[in-house]
Amino acid sequence: MKRRTNPRFCYIFVCFILCSLLSIRAAGTLTDSDVAIVVNPSNPTSNMTLADLRKIFMGERQYWKASNSVVPLMRSQGTREREVILRVVFQMTEQQYGQYWVAKVMRAEVSDPPASLFSNGMVQEGVKGNAGAIGYISAADVRSGVKVVRVGGLLPGEPGYALR
Amino acid sequence: MYRMTGLVVATLFMAISAPAQTTQASQPSATTVPDARDLELREMRARIERLETLVERLQKERESTATGVATASASNPTQPTTASAQPPESSRVSAAELHAGVDHHAGADERIGGQVETHGAIEQRYPQLHFRGFGDIDFSATDDPGSKSGFNLGQFILHVASPLSQKVSVFGEISFSASTGFYNVDIERYLIRYDYNDHFKLSFGRYHTPINYWNTAFHHGLWLQTTISRPEMIRFGGRFQPVHFIGMLAEGNVPSGPLGLGYNVGLGNGRAGNIARPGDSGDVNNNRAWVANLFARPAALNGLQIGGSLYGDLITSPGVSPGNPNFRELISTAHVVWTKESPEFLAEFAHVRHRNVLTENVFNSNSAYVQIAYRLPGEGHKWKPYYRFEWSNISPSDPLFVGDNSVAVRPLTGSTFGVRYDITNLAAFKGEYRHITRKPNDPHVNGLFFQTSFTF
Repeated sequence: MKRRTNPRFCYIFVCFILCSLLSIRAAGTLTDSDVAIVVNPSNPTSNMTLADLRKIFMGERQYWKASNSVVPLMRSQGTREREVILRVVFQMTEQQYGQYWVAKVMRAEVSDPPASLFSNGMVQEGVKGNAGAIGYISAADVRSGVKVVRVGGLLPGEPGYALR
Repeated sequence: MYRMTGLVVATLFMAISAPAQTTQASQPSATTVPDARDLELREMRARIERLETLVERLQKERESTATGVATASASNPTQPTTASAQPPESSRVSAAELHAGVDHHAGADERIGGQVETHGAIEQRYPQLHFRGFGDIDFSATDDPGSKSGFNLGQFILHVASPLSQKVSVFGEISFSASTGFYNVDIERYLIRYDYNDHFKLSFGRYHTPINYWNTAFHHGLWLQTTISRPEMIRFGGRFQPVHFIGMLAEGNVPSGPLGLGYNVGLGNGRAGNIARPGDSGDVNNNRAWVANLFARPAALNGLQIGGSLYGDLITSPGVSPGNPNFRELISTAHVVWTKESPEFLAEFAHVRHRNVLTENVFNSNSAYVQIAYRLPGEGHKWKPYYRFEWSNISPSDPLFVGDNSVAVRPLTGSTFGVRYDITNLAAFKGEYRHITRKPNDPHVNGLFFQTSFTF
């Protein structure tokens, strides 16, 4: 006698497979959509919190522990990496970012905003060539010569990574 | 049943094949026929690398012809940087390996084009000179007897910043103010600062006294502030608090973890004989004024600042009281601000205590304001309505605060309703209505004010 398959079981099984499929596809693109924080390999910093990043990119912290200057490097306007950093780290719009730096220069806290670079490659070169530099690039574009810093204990691609 | 089994098999096939397709798409092999997007990406990468090679070549040519010395070294975050071209390194390595500082040059393959020599130079020259200007044009009309409606040319402000080295910078702020028949030129701020580290920065010069949040947050840049005018407690030319301070100032962050503590400690000349002015050309007595300011910017609440200040001075103001006595001044202030724009919240309180050194008479005055604003969401994001309530209770017998209306510090209860419209990212239009009362029996004064303010 043939055993009849329970249709409900089949639907649940199909749903499970579909969900697995979607999660696998998502995991496959996770690293590509993440933004990596990169520093010079000589920089001993290996882990930072979002609050640390905020202080550094907003010019509140201008020196590393060794008293050498922090050189934050931004990507140019319109890039996805900059959009992620403005949204997650600065929690500002592009307009607010501009006003923030005008005010900061006016308060004599800094003499100029961070440099904005046109490509991820330029950011990497800037970081490679300067011991105090810190920048951000798409995790998919990370190459040798720079060090990726953990953010909140996580690396790009890991579940729960904040910069995406 | 067969139909269901077929569906399950088809789904499984999709699940197995999908990751494989993803892998193929991300790592095209020689046998894979590239699609249009892939070709476009390759073209773009090749074009970027050609451009970067060109940039590098031009940079090398410039370096070889430059007569000055280019310092390819670290610079501070305030300085513009130029990064050279990117090498077309094709050795994609894992984030974990890069986190450990692993170098993978040896394993590089040649995906597109050839190798390009690069120098990760961040060039810095000193001194640099950066200018920024602020301006405003105003219109006012009030029902205050004796006042005239009309346009006013606001202050024309030039702000200069000049790094002299990695750790030494000069800042200046010059104002041009319209007066009857001439323009008054004033050096509002002028200082040289040495940064030892984040915890200690020492400067000398003329400052906006760090006794008040507004005074050091917006300075003379009216475009920076939401409203048209400053609160009366810290208005330019006012006498309630010393707006300017000449001397030396130490500032920095206090290691305090998530509390985000910071400080300012200063020593200087204090108020001049005319207490609305600082002692630009020297102190009026042998007693230095001092100021101490402590504030917290908690990491968990980005945008919040809470702080307080103390200011002490010996005031010598000839002719204000019989016997020309000196007055001991002690000012204590507190502020809470939320600098996000949705909403924006500013609240400050100041207490001024004057003690006649000769008679020991004490005069106490207080002032406060609360300002709230809200940048509208979505399409209305250029609009920012605001409201400010101000209150001042001034000792009527304080000899340093009495005088005619142009110089006296007078009590005040007032409200300001207004709206700011950001014409562009660098210019704004503001309109506001003010309703104030000086003394309980005085008539109310109503006024309409408009301003266009900008930075360039």
